[in-house]
Amino acid sequence: MIRRSLSPALVLAWLALGSGGAPAAEPPSLTVFAAADLAFAFREIVPRFEKALGVRVTLVLGSTGQLAQQIEHGAPADVFFAADQTFVDRLVAERALLGETRALYAQGRLVLATPKTFAPKLTELRRLTDPSVRRVAIANPAHAPYGRAAEEALRKTGVWEAIRPKLVYGENIRHTLQFLQTAAVDAGIVALSVANVPEIDWVAIDPGLHAPLNQAAAVVRRSARPEVGLAFIQFVNGPEGRPIMKRHGFRLPGEF
Amino acid sequence: MDLFPVWLSLRVALTATALTLLIGIPVALLLARRRFPGRNVLEAAVVLPLVLPPTVLGYYLLLVIGNRGPVGRALAALGVELAFTWGAAVLAACVGSIALVIKSAQAGFESVDRQLEQAARTLGRSEWSVFWSVTLPLAWRSVLAGGVLAFCRALGEFGITLMVAGNIPGRTQTLPLAIYDRVQAAQMDEANALALIAVAAVVVLLFGLSRLARLRY
Repeated sequence: MIRRSLSPALVLAWLALGSGGAPAAEPPSLTVFAAADLAFAFREIVPRFEKALGVRVTLVLGSTGQLAQQIEHGAPADVFFAADQTFVDRLVAERALLGETRALYAQGRLVLATPKTFAPKLTELRRLTDPSVRRVAIANPAHAPYGRAAEEALRKTGVWEAIRPKLVYGENIRHTLQFLQTAAVDAGIVALSVANVPEIDWVAIDPGLHAPLNQAAAVVRRSARPEVGLAFIQFVNGPEGRPIMKRHGFRLPGEF
Repeated sequence: MDLFPVWLSLRVALTATALTLLIGIPVALLLARRRFPGRNVLEAAVVLPLVLPPTVLGYYLLLVIGNRGPVGRALAALGVELAFTWGAAVLAACVGSIALVIKSAQAGFESVDRQLEQAARTLGRSEWSVFWSVTLPLAWRSVLAGGVLAFCRALGEFGITLMVAGNIPGRTQTLPLAIYDRVQAAQMDEANALALIAVAAVVVLLFGLSRLARLRY
């Protein structure tokens, strides 16, 4: 019958997957929720931290808004690195993050980027109105800090209304970068921290055109090991982390 | 390459399919056989998850099962945490796919000749026995088709899972989320390999299932 032939096969399959699939025994690790603009810098910092403290780090990258939302609803993060300090402050006020652990760790910079396949390279925001530029990528201003800053810069330059029909929104800054890397768009505004990839050219955008992108981190209140999360924040802000952050285009606390 | 997302996804999809069949078949039978007040509402509610964008659905689910939601708080009181665990991924897959089981099975049950069921009853069979020996075997193809669709939908579930289970590598990062992550990190080789595994897994499983189904009928 049905039950005799199909069900046992499925049950066996399910059990067989149990060994590989059940995340039952979780090794002690630190879960870091980090804004997408930290992708490249943290790829270097995390292994050093793991080695220095003998902790395994699980890095979850996403858009600051979405990660904040998940932490608010009890996501198992130990520490949160936002691309915008206002998200951290809101979560501190909601008692989801530990206020006493809050620390600025960087200030983000914007760049105007063009795929190498697109010529000529754009050097100023006004040029985005050129008819040869058909699609422009920015991160979604509704929830991505770099998107909001990009919108401010475009408004201040006076080209926002003119280029609105050309805009393509990335889910976060890595997604926006991907539009540029695949040359799906002719130009875009991304974070300096992710701009050093072989497929694109870029020029820095005057930071005076947008409110400063002050980035803050804090330990999650529900964390079972807040001291390790705090140690990670201090590591990023310490003598090992700072040079790496600087090399990836962040301005550092004390410099702004 | 880390194959954890593959195992997790298969386990989540199989668990979700089993649960959707368990819940979906009685609901389908109810919709196919009974006229009751609120039937139209139930029928609309069943297809709602197909209509709502997955991320929206995921957000509302998170409001319910998150540590501030009513269900989340009740579970926490029992010492159970659902949000951001693999159980949440199963829930996401169930919500996303149960409509496919219900609609398909409902159509199957509606097409069963009621006289055959009546004949079984006149021969003294209980309702339970009529269902197992007449109704279900006659509607089996539709039920199986619904189960296969649900499995595929569960395996590919992305939006709801991202919201309620998160995208935590080694814990809740399912195959679709892992592929998304690799694509965003421009690690196209790994993304392609994982996508290929996803396709291969589905082909092998569906082929095996169709062989089993043919053996039976």
